[in-house]
Amino acid sequence: MKKIALTGCPNVGKSVVFSRLTGVNVISSNYPGTTVDFTKGTTAIGGEKFELIDVPGTYSLEPTSKAEEVAQTMLQEGDIVINVVDATHLERNLYLTLEILERKKPTIVALNLWDETKHLGIDIDVEKLEQLLGVPIVKTCALCGTGIKELASAVGDAKPSKTIESPMSEEERWLRVGEIIRDVQVVHHRHHTIRERIADATVKPATGIPIAILAILFVFLFIIEIGNAIIEYLLDPIFCNYYGPWIVGVVNSFAPSGLLHDLLIGTSTVEALDFEQSLGILTTGIYVPFGMVLPFIITFYFMLSLLEDLGYLPRLAILVDTGLHKLGLHGSAIVPTILGCGCNVPGALATRILETKKQRFIAMTLMAITVPCMAQSAMIIAILGRYGIKWILIVYSTLFVLYISLGLVLKRVVKGESPELLLEVPPYRRPDPVTLLKKTWSKAYSFLAEAVPFVILGIFIVNLLYVFGIVDVLSRVFSPILTTLLGLPEGAIIALILGVLRKDIAIGMLLPLGMSPQQLTIACIILATYFPCIATFFVMLHELGVRYMLKAAGLMVAVSLSAGIIMRMILIGI
Amino acid sequence: MSDTSPDGRGVPLTSLLPGERAKIIALEHGKGRQHHFRTMGLMEGKIVKVIAAQPARGPFVIDVEGTQIAIGRGMARHILIQKI
Repeated sequence: MKKIALTGCPNVGKSVVFSRLTGVNVISSNYPGTTVDFTKGTTAIGGEKFELIDVPGTYSLEPTSKAEEVAQTMLQEGDIVINVVDATHLERNLYLTLEILERKKPTIVALNLWDETKHLGIDIDVEKLEQLLGVPIVKTCALCGTGIKELASAVGDAKPSKTIESPMSEEERWLRVGEIIRDVQVVHHRHHTIRERIADATVKPATGIPIAILAILFVFLFIIEIGNAIIEYLLDPIFCNYYGPWIVGVVNSFAPSGLLHDLLIGTSTVEALDFEQSLGILTTGIYVPFGMVLPFIITFYFMLSLLEDLGYLPRLAILVDTGLHKLGLHGSAIVPTILGCGCNVPGALATRILETKKQRFIAMTLMAITVPCMAQSAMIIAILGRYGIKWILIVYSTLFVLYISLGLVLKRVVKGESPELLLEVPPYRRPDPVTLLKKTWSKAYSFLAEAVPFVILGIFIVNLLYVFGIVDVLSRVFSPILTTLLGLPEGAIIALILGVLRKDIAIGMLLPLGMSPQQLTIACIILATYFPCIATFFVMLHELGVRYMLKAAGLMVAVSLSAGIIMRMILIGI
Repeated sequence: MSDTSPDGRGVPLTSLLPGERAKIIALEHGKGRQHHFRTMGLMEGKIVKVIAAQPARGPFVIDVEGTQIAIGRGMARHILIQKI
């Protein structure tokens, strides 16, 4: 089977071209020995089958990064090359095109985003460009599907360029790009559209900062209010009126009492349904992920996807850049931090967008200590909310103060560089509702797939620990720290043990202990900071290495303990 | 302030105010960064417009032929321009 290498710069719509050309058999994988992702699939053109490889998007083939190295190798493996070019940014795209043509592989160029050139006042003489490059060019609009058929049927016409000499030096190549642009492209002057004016307002400090504050406030209220509404009007009625009585009845019919009964539904009875504290696999184990956390996961990822698809996050990065520099980071670090508010695992992985090890260490450590994931936040809100919003605010302000103060210290003590921000700001785009819902659904689904088994495992472990009296032993051992230093009941040790597995269920473990709101607040701060859940721990270990992970872990314990003691002194007294 | 430095090499991009336009004269960065800039569309001869300058020595937001780029001041200072 012949191979077609699909190449192009980042953000030219290459993946859309790819999915238009291939069918369902698409495999996504890492290139051997690297973290560079690529996708391949098969396509039939004129009765012949081809393997289509989506080469990672790069601006050039000079091997200065892993992605460029991989792109270069994969290009060599292709029999035919399709070079996807952004027609609205022809000049910067042509550099890569020339590099590809110099390799003398049979090539065709897809001039993508063609429809947009008209709105932007860009005239491109395609025939002339075809002559100059010496390979066939097809105008495409991958999003709407125009030109894709023509592109497929042009694969047979792909040929090596006779007009582009090789090899050229970097300087010669840029000169050539300039010559070609002068010959084929005319840009008409046009006035700023209203959309561009609004876009500019969101990055100008005088207007951008108030807009950002309003936007964050709106997002926050949306997540909380809609999440609460889903629980109050939909999930709680289902659990209390239908699921609860049914499951208690079913379990009672074959295990009216005894170990199995307690393991499955705990202390719940038909008269006294207790989803939160009964510690049964089918009561608490189902209610916590579905009835308490899922609604907030849905509202959070809906909002996050909306901000992503809209293109707002890079603007936010610009506005917070100065502040984050004081913490040894730069504006782009806001993206992993926001992702971490959903789940620390993708948050830790997203720190790869930061350039240096110092930045990545600071970003990951700050996140692991001070950014609670949405599952954890949902439980904090549920448990502290019943005593008033004041207690929730105390937890989050404490975490915020820790984020800032720890960052100020880490910036000074961690060796390495903190480079400046350099970021392309894409134009705002109208989010597509279907994509938005699909994204939200896939996040909710993967939350359930990961959370439910672990929550059930956690409750199973708790039951074992109680049955075998291990909780009592550990409670006594840790009593000096928990009771004397932190002012918590010694039974809180069970939450700390479970917190290593999952934070949401760990916070749920605090409920049966009958604590005061002050104690619950301290316990929530401790649980958020003392150690990441096991999934986050392993991702951090992989990303940072053993030595840095040990440093981070030491910081976590130290910060958590000191914050806990200070909050105890403030809230409870000495 | 004069529009070009005495030797005619241009002035730093950071001397522009929001809304001002200028022509890029030279990129005085290392080879790797220069290349990176060019692939982002930042190159000699291009017209650049400052959209916003963040306070407290924060980054500049500039527009080069329809592409918006946020760039730290340290890097922006080494882009030499001629006001137009």
